[in-house]
Amino acid sequence: MFSSVQRQTARLSHFFPQNARRFQSAAATSSTVNAAEIAHFSRLSSTWWDERGELAMLHRMNPVRVRYIREKLLESTFEDHGEDARREMESRREVLKGMDVLDVGCGGGLLSESLARLGARTLGIDASESNVGIALTHASVDPQLSSSGNSLEYRHASAEQLVKEPKQFDVVCSMEVIEHVDNPLAFLSACAQLVKPGGHLFLSTIARTPLSYFLTILAAEHILREVAVGTHTYSKFIDPSELISFFQSYRPSASSPSTPTDLGDMGSGASPRPWITRTYAHGLPTRLEAEVRGIVYIPWTGEWKLMSRSSTPWGAAQCNYLFWVRRPMDS
Amino acid sequence: MVVFAARRSLARLGCRQRAFLRYFSSEHTRDNDVVIVGGGPAGLALAAALVSNPAAKESLKIVLIEAGDLSKIQDWGMPSDAYSNRVSSITDASQHFLKRIGVWDYVEHARTNPVHQMQVWDGISGARITFDASEIPESSEMARMTENLNLQRALLRKLSDTPNVQVIQSVKVESIEREAGDTNHWPLVHLSNGLTLRARLLVGADGFNSPVRSFAGISSYGWSYDTQAVVATLNHASRGPFQAPNNTAYQRFLPTGPIAFLPLSPGISSLVWSTKPHLATVLSKSSPGVLEQLINAAFRLPETSLQYIYKRLLEGATSSEEIKGEIAFRERSDGISSHSAYASATSMVSKGGIPPDDADALPPLVTSIQPSTIASFPLRYNHAESYLGEGAGSRTVLVGDAAHTVHPLAGQGLNLGLGDVDALSRCIAQALTQGSDIGSYTALMPYARERYFENHKVMSAVDKLHKVYSSTAQPVVWARSVGIEVINELDSVKAALMINAGAGSQLQNASGWDLLAKSIENLAGFTNTSKMIGSTVGAGIQELAKNAGQRIFGRL
Repeated sequence: MFSSVQRQTARLSHFFPQNARRFQSAAATSSTVNAAEIAHFSRLSSTWWDERGELAMLHRMNPVRVRYIREKLLESTFEDHGEDARREMESRREVLKGMDVLDVGCGGGLLSESLARLGARTLGIDASESNVGIALTHASVDPQLSSSGNSLEYRHASAEQLVKEPKQFDVVCSMEVIEHVDNPLAFLSACAQLVKPGGHLFLSTIARTPLSYFLTILAAEHILREVAVGTHTYSKFIDPSELISFFQSYRPSASSPSTPTDLGDMGSGASPRPWITRTYAHGLPTRLEAEVRGIVYIPWTGEWKLMSRSSTPWGAAQCNYLFWVRRPMDS
Repeated sequence: MVVFAARRSLARLGCRQRAFLRYFSSEHTRDNDVVIVGGGPAGLALAAALVSNPAAKESLKIVLIEAGDLSKIQDWGMPSDAYSNRVSSITDASQHFLKRIGVWDYVEHARTNPVHQMQVWDGISGARITFDASEIPESSEMARMTENLNLQRALLRKLSDTPNVQVIQSVKVESIEREAGDTNHWPLVHLSNGLTLRARLLVGADGFNSPVRSFAGISSYGWSYDTQAVVATLNHASRGPFQAPNNTAYQRFLPTGPIAFLPLSPGISSLVWSTKPHLATVLSKSSPGVLEQLINAAFRLPETSLQYIYKRLLEGATSSEEIKGEIAFRERSDGISSHSAYASATSMVSKGGIPPDDADALPPLVTSIQPSTIASFPLRYNHAESYLGEGAGSRTVLVGDAAHTVHPLAGQGLNLGLGDVDALSRCIAQALTQGSDIGSYTALMPYARERYFENHKVMSAVDKLHKVYSSTAQPVVWARSVGIEVINELDSVKAALMINAGAGSQLQNASGWDLLAKSIENLAGFTNTSKMIGSTVGAGIQELAKNAGQRIFGRL
């Protein structure tokens, strides 16, 4: 069981074909990076960080993700500590100051850099060693990221490897990753175990609908060629209702997640309280437990837009969407 | 074993960075978040706007470089009856922005003058349009005439009170290059004092010949008008007790270019006279006492008479007496009564008393020109193809004249620049709240999107105005005159035009819609008139299109 989880999650990161061939197993021994490798990563990094290139869509998606994370954390602060605390947090430039944040499948570090700039102690992990190299190289050029007391760190690791360590995080994000892993259930429970009690889990992925097939595969990959062909696989897309039903039944083990033997208990019912306890009509979760919000690319502005909560029962989550769920304090 | 391998791969940026940076950093290289090249109004306003935002003030390291001596401007002062010759109309929208960033209080208000009314008329047909601030709801003035130095001094004083911006003056930018490495590296700005600035974001506020724009590899398109602007500060008699105060701006569209009279104080106004280069040369070098007579004539005499005066001037009739004689001759032959406001050389209008009927239609008579305020400069149209650098020129952004140059006839140049600065500072503030790299293309895209089309719209409208009014062809003159007189009767259309031009910034969208609704009502009322004149206007437009076609193909 233990080793099979390792193997599955080792494949989680390589969602862009140009990096797939450089993929190495997470179990492979890594060495400290030398100058020749830095030059090598620099060449690669021009693809990850070319904002006008193949990953332009991903770059443009980043602001809306960060805004959403910021918005939800402000909202939770309001729920926990009231309006004054929310105002105080909002007025801070570094809105995530003092928080431990994990970015699972960080790729070239697009999201991790933004989170670190907002003051979070950020750890970006990726199972592809070359991605980690790219992320490191890119951040090292930016004095804001490389000198502010090591608030940004990258590791070549998978979520399952981190589960075996004692550390948990206030915020765990995994953006546009889950539709690329082989065993999404194991991946979800690994992510969930990394969240502190009262902490937040943010995911973004694509719903399995005819619309999403048309937009993300037919249009984006084959017609417009905005995204490299083969980036997405329709059968791996995940519907919001599937994420919600996972967290309705998810009961993490009550004991410390640092003991490797607990991995076997993943998803089995030891804890009294699931993360999502009830749903409204259409299977919608309650506002304080979880939320699904669609995001839509507006071609004429070149920006992604967060759909309003009330646009449809599912927040217009017919294609790309963001998912937020909060771990209860007492779970 | 697996766990250990993963732990070893853990790399901390702090240690790696030192080794990595060593090969390109030197002792004289400094990291900065925003490097602004150019200490003109746009560059200074950007610095001031950024530090007015608490997040930007706290987190950004901002440097401004200016080749000139800014301390002279900071200590600038003039006697209260003398004015600088470079004056701008600060629209209500720009004023609102300057108030928001805390700069407007630093402007010496006694040296500014409100504009309540604008009178614009056709040099050939005399068709006139009057814009009045009272037609815009909730606004008392359309714009405020302000010396550029007054504004620049205010910006500098504001910045010296907020030490977060480092202003490097009397230092030139020697060269700009990209850091060794790939395109993700930052621009390096080498200064004449030996310093090198490393810039997360390099802002080109460096004017028409922008070095930042060349570094960014952004091309620009445009043309020079065959026109020079002559500027001067004018002394004239104060308006009498039976007249409105000196709050009206006048502009007459002559076929050689518009001549504008901009009020600065009860007895002082500013001149911007756009005209053909050979005339501009003669005007700016004319002997004392000549230019004021020519200005008075240019606002008053019919076009044919003006052509005659220009001809005499170019033939060498350059003394004050000769010019006065020629103007008096034309006034008599045009049948201008010496008691009319249109008379200048033969004017018998007394200083006090009841002014002639038409006195409000014309600026007061210029009596003298303030010493050494006559200057002239060429006019051009220029628009950068993009405001953001890409690839080897990434991490650059253009504002103000570096991005666009426009004909001054609508007084929009400075206001467009301030509009850029407002949008860019808001864009940067927004990027900071979402943790973006403020030098990245993605973070700056909203700025370009907000401003590019907006500027283009204003610039081409101004350009078209210049071209339509340069024509002497009968149908064009007729069409533009009918058009302007019809619009002049439609108060709400005029109000909408003024709001578009930046007057009345505090209006909400709702009242904009109200205005639109009103204009539709008005238009319905005018349908009959339009039907009557419709066919002839059609002919005029055809002629206009033909004319434009000839111009375009002629240029090819």
